[in-house]
Amino acid sequence: MNPIFEEIKDAIVEGDEDLAIELAEKVVAEGIDPVQAVQLGFIKGIEEVGAAWTSGEAFLPDVMMAADAMKAGMDVLEEVLAAGEGDGAYEDKGKIVLGTVEGDIHDIGKNIVGALLTSAGFKVYDIGIDQKAEDFVAKADEVGARIIAASSLLTTTMKSQKVLVEYLDAQKLRDKYKVIIGGGPTSAKWGEDIGADGWAETADEAVELCKKLLG
Amino acid sequence: MLPKFDVLTDEQINKIHKNSLKILQEIGVEFSYDPAIEVFKKHGQRVEGHRVFLDPDFVENMVEKAPAQFTLHARNPEHNLVCGGENVIYMPGYGAPFVYDADGGKRDATMADYDNFVKLAGASKNMHMTGGTVVEPTDVEDEIRHLKMAYSHIINSDKCFMGSSSGYEHAMDSIKLTAVLHGGMDVIKEKPALICLVNSVTPLKYDDRMLGGLMAYAETGQPMVIASLVMAGSTGPATMAGALSLQNAEVLAGITLTQCINPGTPVVYGSTSAVTDMSTGSLSIGNPENALFTSASAQFSRFYGVPCRGGGGLTDAKTVDAQAGYESMMVLFAASTTGVNFVLHTAGILQYYMAMSYEKFMVDDEIAGMVLRYLKGFDTDSDEKMAYDVIEAVGPGGHFLTQKHTRKNFKTEFFRPALSDRQSFDGWSKDSLDTNQRAKLKWQEVLANYTPPELDPAIKEKVEAFIEKRSKELLK
Ligand code: B12
Repeated sequence: MNPIFEEIKDAIVEGDEDLAIELAEKVVAEGIDPVQAVQLGFIKGIEEVGAAWTSGEAFLPDVMMAADAMKAGMDVLEEVLAAGEGDGAYEDKGKIVLGTVEGDIHDIGKNIVGALLTSAGFKVYDIGIDQKAEDFVAKADEVGARIIAASSLLTTTMKSQKVLVEYLDAQKLRDKYKVIIGGGPTSAKWGEDIGADGWAETADEAVELCKKLLG
Repeated sequence: MLPKFDVLTDEQINKIHKNSLKILQEIGVEFSYDPAIEVFKKHGQRVEGHRVFLDPDFVENMVEKAPAQFTLHARNPEHNLVCGGENVIYMPGYGAPFVYDADGGKRDATMADYDNFVKLAGASKNMHMTGGTVVEPTDVEDEIRHLKMAYSHIINSDKCFMGSSSGYEHAMDSIKLTAVLHGGMDVIKEKPALICLVNSVTPLKYDDRMLGGLMAYAETGQPMVIASLVMAGSTGPATMAGALSLQNAEVLAGITLTQCINPGTPVVYGSTSAVTDMSTGSLSIGNPENALFTSASAQFSRFYGVPCRGGGGLTDAKTVDAQAGYESMMVLFAASTTGVNFVLHTAGILQYYMAMSYEKFMVDDEIAGMVLRYLKGFDTDSDEKMAYDVIEAVGPGGHFLTQKHTRKNFKTEFFRPALSDRQSFDGWSKDSLDTNQRAKLKWQEVLANYTPPELDPAIKEKVEAFIEKRSKELLK
């Protein structure tokens, strides 16, 4: 096995974004099999961090920095992977557009959800805070996402989650995407009331939810 | 009153103060609201876009203009409060969207809950004011929530309360409504009657809504709490000294702005900084770090010569259990014994500000009573209190139970629990009620027996007319 795969894995476990990029660039430059780099390097690393997180040995900075490093490295490989280079094929578990709804700037929870989804193998497009329904949908359309995930931390901005579902209805796009919601003041009942496809209380549960929806 | 103790040395205070000033000067603070930017420009501060870089001497001079204490006026003057100095002011929790009930249920908070918590605070002898946003009444449209909430405070109690800070317009509504209650804008300008909570957006930002609120209160001479909540480890550094420096910089920037707008405007230095739970990312407030941030903030307030807000009956527990009790006692005790003056969130909070609980309110009310007694310390002023004569009268071997001196003094010297059980085992085991169950019976009893103090019908009419007019305009 090419020793670079082990180095990539370590870079992810260490949450070293710069090193992950550097190694990914080396993979491209030297024509190393990118699918193997993903499977034996990036995914191995993130799985290791994920397992440590589940057992309570790893903490948020470990997981979030690993997810950032993974994302940065994978971005470098994106082109060669898309071109179908390498042995076999690598495909993410599904694309998810994630953001905080209009009027709301809370983003810690959203960022954690994003990191855990990334580490579970989903490709997450984080569009940031204070985002309109149109912005979620435009991004989902652009990247071919299957899930739209909206976070809200205020009782006064929860209705923007409803607006998102209504917007999809109005655009006749409701069947194209699964909509999931979350954030402090939201609840399973609220999810049902507005016709979302799912709600989760924690980031762990958000991962399970996405697996179920795309399974 | 007991002397307040320090948690930082003078040298540590200086080091953190300097660190904060350096943050303000070199990193700067982002103010998204254009009118605030204009104010800073007018005062000759360096501005790039929305980022303001504050000169250290300027900050120190401005903060110096803020008063060391002020009086907040209630519709019943007996409930006027002095905020600052040795005083401590207790009130209910603020902003929780949920209510958790005695048997573990969770539901959205409503306007009926709102009225109930205001009444409980009105009835309590340990709550000095009825607070503000005691829960988030989710069954009321947000356009008019601020009006309904203010009405609840006005009608259900005659103690001081807090107003909206959510944007210039809503802030002005609550100020004008308070003016109606007190007899005019010029009256409350002279005698401040409404206080609000302005939060920074950590790290190093203030947003439009909060700045709009800040400008309304500053312009009309109403006091406000300028607070920062650093979640050490996520919205701030994971070191205590770093997080405190960051919080301090944000609060100083906010206070500076208030004093630019209206020099001498009463402000309260506020802190709710605590830590991030590094496994889940959630805020965690029932811990020694929060107690330390709170006490350090009280000390910084003394250093800057302004009153302090911090602490409360704070916990991460989801129900009224041992954790709820020991965490809340720790933070409230630390706040009260180290010099916090304005204790938002004294009673009712569960799960890091997410929920209010009636049972928890009663537990915290008990804790508040205990702490208030503790703060009174020892009275050694008179011979009566030194009790030499009665010790002599009883002499060796007797007892004090039948002494006049005893009968006269125990009521004022001893704290009398309202909730705690001091019975024998047999006495207790007749019903075997735990604190949670006793608290449930207690709040129901208090609410059933509470009669809100009467409001002059002529004033009531004016208040209602104001609310009706504004509601119509806002719901259009
Ligand atoms: C930190 C904080 C802030 C910070 C935010 C910093 C930041 N970069 O995010 C600052 C200071 C800026 C802030 C501002 C305000 N805040 Co604030 N804030 C909080 C606080 C203390 C913690 C939020 C947090 O990050 N929690 C930790 C994360 C990990 O939890 P989480 O977000 O819930 O996320 C988890 C789950 O919900 C879930 N999840 C989250 N998103 C999603 C999305 C999907 C799709 C799924 C499936 C799951 C999911 O997974 C996450 C991980 O497990 C809460 C109280 C609290 N205890 O939650 C108040 C709180 C949310 N804020 C509140 C308020 C009122 C405000 C302000 C209006 C001003 C004020 N009075 O403080 C402004 C509003 C600004 C705005 N326009 O948005 C209220 C809301 C009350 C209400 N009416 O709903 C709260 C409840 C506090 C209170 N009791 O007053 N706040």
